[in-house]
Amino acid sequence: MVRLQPDPFLNELTNMFERTTEKGSVWVTLKHSSDKSKVQRNKMKTCGEKIEYRCLVRATDGKKTISTLVGPKDHQRFQASYATILKARMTALRKRERKDKRKAADSDKKEDSKIRSTASKTTN
Amino acid sequence: MVYITSWDDFVEKSVQLFRADPEKTRYGMKYRHCDGKLVLKVTDDRECIKFKTDQAQDAKKMEKLNNIFFTLMARGPEADISEVSGKDQVEAQPAKKGRGRKQ
Repeated sequence: MVRLQPDPFLNELTNMFERTTEKGSVWVTLKHSSDKSKVQRNKMKTCGEKIEYRCLVRATDGKKTISTLVGPKDHQRFQASYATILKARMTALRKRERKDKRKAADSDKKEDSKIRSTASKTTN
Repeated sequence: MVYITSWDDFVEKSVQLFRADPEKTRYGMKYRHCDGKLVLKVTDDRECIKFKTDQAQDAKKMEKLNNIFFTLMARGPEADISEVSGKDQVEAQPAKKGRGRKQ
């Protein structure tokens, strides 16, 4: 498990997506974390110290795992960069399948009506 | 695995799960470019809900959900997510005021 700063993490994440284009998956997990063990957290609670929480982001391609902590101050910037990477990389998903289906259905109906009209003409 | 078909239901349940137990709840995403499939999973290690898709339009919806989770997890479960889209507008307005003053 490699712990990186947010910017190198985003670079490594981009590389991961590139490597898994032909084969493989990318897993990204988000979790609310304070990066402290339960013992430390209990101690901090009893002392009255405020525990600082951050967003833990982990990414893996099945072989290599990278992670980073995003605090409340830089989470807006991180989520914007993260969204850009996803938009650029998730191109294999199907687009507008419903509209294509409708077009196919309409063209089928038109073909059926043509067949019926030609059939009626030949019989007459 | 509990697969949910409605996107809005999935979002509502996942936010509920997180607010109920922010220490344990995690949000995972798996993307396979070779299959063109995307699967989202939210669990608190007791309950688990999943959403799978191969539609590009769901990727846009997932982006909004990502923003919601980033806000909740970075700021805390009490964070106000109804302003997730509104926050961008709030940031834009002061920038315009700044340009006005320079003129």
